[in-house]
Amino acid sequence: MKCVIPGVNIKVFGRAIHSLSKIGEEIYFEPQEDGLSLKTVNSSRSAYSCFLFAPSFFQDYDDGSGQIDSQDGEDNGLRCKITVKSCLTVFRSMSTIEKTVERCKITLNMDDSRLVFMLYCKHGIVKTHNLAFIECETLQAVFSKDLTPNVLTAPARLLCDVVMNFQTNQEEVSLILSPEKVSFKNYIEDEPDPNKVMHTELCLQPEEFDNCQVGVDTEVTFCLKELRAILAFAEVVGLPVSLHFETAGRPIVLSISSDASFEANFVLATLADAQTQTSGSQHPRSQLPSSSRYDMASATEISGPTTTQEEEDMLDDDMDDEMLGHDETMPSYTPSLQLDDLTATAPIRKPAPSRNRQGSPQPSTSRLSEQTERQTPTIPHRTTGGEQFASPVIPNQNTNTKPMRIDVSLLEEDDDDEEEEEAVPGTPPSKKFRSMFFGSQASTCTQLSQSVAPVLACDTDDED
Amino acid sequence: MALSTQEGSGDSHYVLNVRLDNAKNVSNLLKAIHFKETATVFASSMGLKVTVEDAKCIQANAFIQEGVFHEFTIKEEQLTFKINLTVLLECLTIFGSTSFPGVTTSLKMCYAGYGCPLVLILEEDGVLTDCNIKTLEADEVLDFNFCSSNVVNKIIMKSECLKEAFNELDMSSDILEILMSPDAPYFRLSTFGNSGSTHSDFPKDSDMVESFQCSQTQTNRYKISLLKPSVKALGHSTRVSIRTDNRGFLSLQYMIKNEDGQICFVEYYCVPDEDLDEPDH
Repeated sequence: MKCVIPGVNIKVFGRAIHSLSKIGEEIYFEPQEDGLSLKTVNSSRSAYSCFLFAPSFFQDYDDGSGQIDSQDGEDNGLRCKITVKSCLTVFRSMSTIEKTVERCKITLNMDDSRLVFMLYCKHGIVKTHNLAFIECETLQAVFSKDLTPNVLTAPARLLCDVVMNFQTNQEEVSLILSPEKVSFKNYIEDEPDPNKVMHTELCLQPEEFDNCQVGVDTEVTFCLKELRAILAFAEVVGLPVSLHFETAGRPIVLSISSDASFEANFVLATLADAQTQTSGSQHPRSQLPSSSRYDMASATEISGPTTTQEEEDMLDDDMDDEMLGHDETMPSYTPSLQLDDLTATAPIRKPAPSRNRQGSPQPSTSRLSEQTERQTPTIPHRTTGGEQFASPVIPNQNTNTKPMRIDVSLLEEDDDDEEEEEAVPGTPPSKKFRSMFFGSQASTCTQLSQSVAPVLACDTDDED
Repeated sequence: MALSTQEGSGDSHYVLNVRLDNAKNVSNLLKAIHFKETATVFASSMGLKVTVEDAKCIQANAFIQEGVFHEFTIKEEQLTFKINLTVLLECLTIFGSTSFPGVTTSLKMCYAGYGCPLVLILEEDGVLTDCNIKTLEADEVLDFNFCSSNVVNKIIMKSECLKEAFNELDMSSDILEILMSPDAPYFRLSTFGNSGSTHSDFPKDSDMVESFQCSQTQTNRYKISLLKPSVKALGHSTRVSIRTDNRGFLSLQYMIKNEDGQICFVEYYCVPDEDLDEPDH
């Protein structure tokens, strides 16, 4: 692989790296025939971004597939990932780079296993960075942005001005769409008291957008941090951003493209809203200690394995809660699901990352099936028809039609992790946002369970 | 701008008595070597030399020649004392570092001899500050015995491009490797950090390089933590001379132009790293 970025495009490339660095920990370099793609996914798998730089972006582009073919007949070029940190050593100071770098050559040194960045600067100075990389499988989120009912296209400036109004520590922002107006509001959690925190809402007229296509009135909530990273890039390159989205709980896709030279897509999980959309809203497997739901979950997890009876009681309690206080559905109901997840995952974490959990034989299998059975009557959709009872797993399957089920799955990436024996990223998903990938992961689980653990598969079979 | 303090009266007992109209000319030089708390000051009829050392491996000297001062009187052959450089710099910049055009801080500095405090009187726009800084017993400073006759390689270049290279040094690397050679790659700075190795190559015919006198290929490694502070001097300087002698000792000389257009020098000496293992890149 060899590519040379001309001076005029260094800025875009460097900013892309910076933007990726704000989302994930590692950058996947994938030289392909149709260009060089840089991808990353955040540790909680709730945000994915992908840049594709077309061959025309480069002064010289060779994806290197030819060489590899001749050597060992592999059909794909090398795919590798490097840590964001090391990549930033190359592009640390963008102001200096923009001023001094005349071209940048990226090559792969297979002998030393280094990804080599050579920056040819003014005055004949050459800076060479030999970065260690890890060979890996491709990272691919499957998403479709063309079919979403809602599309907003706006100049980066407009969105930057909107985002600027939120406090820096604001984690999530809600986008509320109706034919009359588009508004952005800071998302406020139930705790602490929502009445004691500042609410910010900005309303925009549809005319302010380059394109405002409203298919469904909706409210989607997603992380502000990633949005900021995206907008920072869009603003520098001065291109409009398109937002493609559907409803709460379904991923939002942001895309930026410059005709022929490059394209960037960002897929962000959206928070499923408990009140309006119970199905698909619960997000199991919260692993972030910061979430109160997690605390509850871990509590159950601990008690679970020891006393099944208690656990069942708890499940009962949870269900009661759910039926009584519908507002609290998420927090109250989730633990039981998390229990299911966590107890199963914990013992087999290393060899089989979470998505295998149900299928893998482990000590808790019987208990697990018990839980599943207990859940089955409530999960229902079809049996009871009560959306509010839907478990997070099943609903996603239900609501998604087959092709859509894998909307944003990072399955391939998961495979990769497995191969490398990496544990599922240490800092998992922020609470709620996992929904996006979870939906798809869940479907895999169930698929797996069909083959491996027939007991568990029961309900899925029913569903399908 | 003259100091409003009376001259002559009471100044007679000072062995060192200096005065200048722009304290910045001194403070900028001192900032360039400020990587340790204490500094040793040598005063002679030539001017002041301020020395800072660390780990018995690196030494920085700032030379403030007599010509920088408007008045420079010394009653002894040589005076030596140690002083807290941080405090001295704080005093010198007590009126703040932002300067309005035409407004400068004038300085009068006196020292009465062994055991006495260093007396600073600063004035800006009619505001007067009086500082007394305790002096300490001077220790012996290192002698690197760096003779120009033993110099093997010497490069003089504009500071600008080196500044960038130093600012971006990968600090996860323990060492900075400096290669100087009459052949390609001529002058190379390398680091070997967690994420991989980095080389910056400067060709000898670059317009940044003003003089290139390398007689043999030399690759020496220096502790990056020791050399990093020299970036302060680099920042103030316009030109830098990089020299290595036959033992691999490094001398970095920085040419610093002050606001009055006078040229002063700051130099750093550094010992090479003993470890002769091959770089693990």
